[in-house]
Amino acid sequence: MKKAYLEFVVGLFLAIGIGCLAWLSIKLARKEFFARNGYEVQAAFSNGSGLRRGTPVVIAGVEIGRVASVGLQDYEAKVRIVIQQGVALQSDTIASIKTKGLIGEKYIELTPGASDKTIKAGGVIRETQPAMDLEALIGKYIQGSLAKPDDKGQPPL
Amino acid sequence: MNPQCELAPLEAMKTLRYMLLALVAVGASLCACADEPTAQIRVTTDTILALLADPALKTEARNSERRQLIRKELDLRIDWATVARSSLGRHWAKRTRAEQTEFVSLFSRLLEETFIDKFETHHGELDKVEYLGEKIIDEYASVKAQVSTKDQIVHPVEYRLQKSGKDWRIYDVLLEGVSLVKNYRDQFDEILAKSPYEKLVADLRAKIPQGSP
Repeated sequence: MKKAYLEFVVGLFLAIGIGCLAWLSIKLARKEFFARNGYEVQAAFSNGSGLRRGTPVVIAGVEIGRVASVGLQDYEAKVRIVIQQGVALQSDTIASIKTKGLIGEKYIELTPGASDKTIKAGGVIRETQPAMDLEALIGKYIQGSLAKPDDKGQPPL
Repeated sequence: MNPQCELAPLEAMKTLRYMLLALVAVGASLCACADEPTAQIRVTTDTILALLADPALKTEARNSERRQLIRKELDLRIDWATVARSSLGRHWAKRTRAEQTEFVSLFSRLLEETFIDKFETHHGELDKVEYLGEKIIDEYASVKAQVSTKDQIVHPVEYRLQKSGKDWRIYDVLLEGVSLVKNYRDQFDEILAKSPYEKLVADLRAKIPQGSP
């Protein structure tokens, strides 16, 4: 009897342990077994670097959705986003890719617009601003200064 | 009577008919092209560049006339009302109809003056404008272009347009991937979080150069 009780307790602890591990994996991988209460919209970015499934979508710093998938279409990053039910997006809402923290994690910021029309489920956020390519921007100005002709009007190397 | 002389008017008629047909065909193709957003952007850009390069308009006395002509071209191609409304964003709906009209007028004048100042200052540095392609979805379009300077620096530009009748009109411009509307929307958000709307209007009015129409 005592042995059976001991086995039961060990089994229970094991089950709790496995449950905790499963919960942790789901949370870390940001996977959802049950679909959130929300609606889906799409957006196309000319540069979607850093975006992946689970990337947060915020308005005024408050998370109101997540990226459901990222794919390539017409050489653009086509992103499916799930938005919380009850959050209406105007048709001129701007979606821009931003960076947070020191490690540069990306997120999508939505800036509400002024239009009377709203984006319906399955609709498209038309106005997008791609991720800023700082390296290219800095490189351009460095290269630009090197590319200037010298005093005699001779082109650079 | 020389039979060749009788044939000549017939031949001439034929040639004329072909020429007319060719003209009609060219005209039709031009009309078709002019409906495309890229073609319309190109016409506006080329006209403004020609006005800036025109030596007759470069004199001090004709400066205001040149600015007026550029303003007219910008008014044709840019949908100022949508640019202003979208830039004010969520604050637009809180304003009265009269305030909205005043805002469109002030903001468009400020942008217009800023654009013309920039054109006049940087016109000499421009090397070429290339159009890379367009994408049309329903009544919306985007036109990608790149502006190269004489220093070999290339700036990507993307125009966002909406169809209005036969015209494509700009409602946003992305320079180096940064949206003009988003830039102003963020600034207005920040200003209106700290100070009242009246202060914003007063600031806009103060920024518009005196003497502009």
